[in-house]
Amino acid sequence: MTLPRRLPLRLAWPALGAAALVLGAASRPAADDPWWSPGEGRVFPATLDYPNAHGVMRTLLSGGPLPTRGHPFFEPIGTNGRACVTCHQPADGMSLAASTAAARWELTGGRDPLFAAIDGSNCPTLPQGERASHSLLLERGLFRIQRPWPVREWQGRPVTPDFTLEVVRDPNGCNSGPRYGPAAGNVSVYRRPRPVSNFKYLLAVGFAYDPKQGIALPRDPRSGQMQSGNLMADNRAGSLFEQMADAATSHLQLMGRLTPQQEARILDFEMRLHTAQQISHAGGPLDTLGAEGGPAKLRDSQPGALGSIGTPVWSEFAAWEKIPAAEAAKLSPEQLAFRQSVARGAQVFRNKTFLITDSSGINAPVGFGNPVRNSCVFCHNMSQMGNDVAPGQVDLGTTTLPFADPWPDLPLFRITCRGKPHPFYGRVFYTYDPGFALTTGRCADAGKITLQSMRGLAARAPYFSNGLASDLRGIVDYYERRYSIGYTEQEKQDLVNLMSVL
Amino acid sequence: MKSLTLALALLAPLSAEAAETGRLVRFVSCPVYRDADSGKKSGCWLADARDSGERFDVSLSPYKPDWNRAVLVEGRTTGQPATPCGSPVLDPVRTSVLDEPCQRHMLPAEGFPGRRFVLPPRNLAPLSVPRKPVEGPFGPRTFALFFEFDRAFVVYQYSDFLLDQAAAWLAAARPKRVVVTGFAATAPETVSGRLLAERPEVAQERAAITAESLHRLLPELVIETRTETAATPTDLPDADGLPGQSQRRVEIRAEF
Ligand code: HEC
Ligand code: HEC
Repeated sequence: MTLPRRLPLRLAWPALGAAALVLGAASRPAADDPWWSPGEGRVFPATLDYPNAHGVMRTLLSGGPLPTRGHPFFEPIGTNGRACVTCHQPADGMSLAASTAAARWELTGGRDPLFAAIDGSNCPTLPQGERASHSLLLERGLFRIQRPWPVREWQGRPVTPDFTLEVVRDPNGCNSGPRYGPAAGNVSVYRRPRPVSNFKYLLAVGFAYDPKQGIALPRDPRSGQMQSGNLMADNRAGSLFEQMADAATSHLQLMGRLTPQQEARILDFEMRLHTAQQISHAGGPLDTLGAEGGPAKLRDSQPGALGSIGTPVWSEFAAWEKIPAAEAAKLSPEQLAFRQSVARGAQVFRNKTFLITDSSGINAPVGFGNPVRNSCVFCHNMSQMGNDVAPGQVDLGTTTLPFADPWPDLPLFRITCRGKPHPFYGRVFYTYDPGFALTTGRCADAGKITLQSMRGLAARAPYFSNGLASDLRGIVDYYERRYSIGYTEQEKQDLVNLMSVL
Repeated sequence: MKSLTLALALLAPLSAEAAETGRLVRFVSCPVYRDADSGKKSGCWLADARDSGERFDVSLSPYKPDWNRAVLVEGRTTGQPATPCGSPVLDPVRTSVLDEPCQRHMLPAEGFPGRRFVLPPRNLAPLSVPRKPVEGPFGPRTFALFFEFDRAFVVYQYSDFLLDQAAAWLAAARPKRVVVTGFAATAPETVSGRLLAERPEVAQERAAITAESLHRLLPELVIETRTETAATPTDLPDADGLPGQSQRRVEIRAEF
């Protein structure tokens, strides 16, 4: 097997402790530092590999290398010294791992712009020099997201929310006081950065309808094209343009607006990126012996296909279901076992069914019934990506009681539906993050979070919108708790191994 | 074994069953989920007509029950074997979820296989599949789509398909304008001892969501919405011969 040129040096990294890692980063020439600082002017290569705990993540930039000097994704164009790349790091699958945030804190004594008071701390009102004031970012990789409340408009139409929002608990101070909280016209929730890559899939429109809302997809006022509805946890942005405007004023504290040139350059960069795990520590290169792991397959496939009627989801690893003896002999026993486990994991993902219950977006109002028997692939149904072909707003319970884990350090809201009760939670219920309901103003949408892509997982723990799962096993454990699936230990490990190679 | 004898017992009086095939039943009760497992979406929905004591297999509804809520069942009896779920099959059938709470109840499979999922005939092809061009001549024409009791939700793999058929035709026909009429079955009817009537507002909600979808699909279309309450049954084919279903509809009329 031929390893990428710069690999051996990097592969040694995960073995080093966090302290050594940041020290190493400081003494290493900038061009080799996994941390991309704003405005450093590196060239973004056509192929960029970084190690992670499970192997090597690869990001491909179609159209060749990009000098980042002066590029609005990489320059600190706002007022707080951050760039987009600050929170969307190539080494972290174009998201940001909580461990990376913690390492930055150690290295910079908390002075990196990453920790800007606005959203890199639990609340700007807290003493910013103290580590504890940034605990949500350092421990769970969460940023503060402030949404206006009440919702006044959605998809160009005026909205009056059909529920009230009361603050039950405000451990960080950003949902109470003179400037923060529903009484002050806003709500703060805490979320993980979503990966900035593979957007042709997240923007793909497979069907003209949103089956979960029972309506045709909205059109982008700018392009006239239909919108996929698959951006942001709460889908507050229908397009990458809307998203970057939101990001620039919030995360970057840009005072004005992005210029049309800046918008075009950010969009161009975003659309050229494809990211996936390329090499597995345990299994070796992911595109060998007939397997099609890695980002090249993503780059070269047509987006937006429904796995159930076309290329099955994660069939990239189907060839490893039956590795011919002659080929198997060339692998170490561990590599062979791991590859077989990945192939089984893909089958478990598609074929092991369980009863999906009380999850709005699926069990209501679509017509599937409550409960409905299905597998992971029911919701994660897009070929090559595992996001939802239809707009993916589903309430898995990750942010809403009783299904979410108890978390004293997150704010807790009480929702009271004014009209019809929520189909599963009733009239009054409790949530850390109402999700999609903060965008639509509808009680029935509370707790719905847009499905992410399943790519690049190996480099961007923790998982789910609020970092509920600290590692890949934590994802499987959550589903097991939530739906009493009854996975065997082997099946759990197979799913973990599958997710580690995406 | 148990399931086999049961199934045979149910199969035996086929002729008697056949005699009353097509009998219309309409009742409210609490649904029961039978955890039959032949893969995805294969579970069984059962519901009891309390006045007659009959238990029916209502799984073939395009919109399925919620085990926490009462359900309005409307269907026709068939001679189909009870093999999949253990009860006589209603087909066509509709199960509208009502607000009234129910004790949730799940039966084990007890040897019943349920039904292996097959795509319903009314399903949308992905946009990537080239469509057959719609052929003229084009003149005044009315399309209809159908709803769950008292709801304005355009049901997946039923009404979305009907809406899409209408949209494809309208795109080719380019009518002068389109009149979207939302109907509501507001005249109270007694079903299982309850007075059931749709809210008058649901007529408007149905018209509005249909018009909004048409507007998104065909931004150029000139659309007018109307409402009609006290809707009466019609024999529109896509209501599948169920009078209650035929009342809860939207009509899309193209005018030239
Ligand atoms: C302070 C950290 C931070 C910075 C800086 C930042 N982002 Fe993000 N980004 C996030 C978070 C957090 C989310 C998820 C927000 C949500 O779901 O509500 C996100 C989500 C996104 C998404 C949506 C991806 C998806 O699949 O839904 C895109 C696109 C994106 N960011 C682009 C940008 C761009 C462009 C910039 C610079 C203008 C930027 N981000 C700057 C934290 C950041
Ligand atoms: C009922 C729909 C549904 C089913 C079934 C489902 N998921 Fe998810 N999945 C979601 C939703 C919604 C999210 C986003 C939730 C959040 O971020 O809080 C998600 C997110 C994820 C993520 C992304 C985590 C991240 O942070 O990027 C992974 C990985 C995942 N699911 C794996 C699985 C596996 C494995 C199964 C089968 C055991 C499964 N899912 C079954 C709806 C579903």
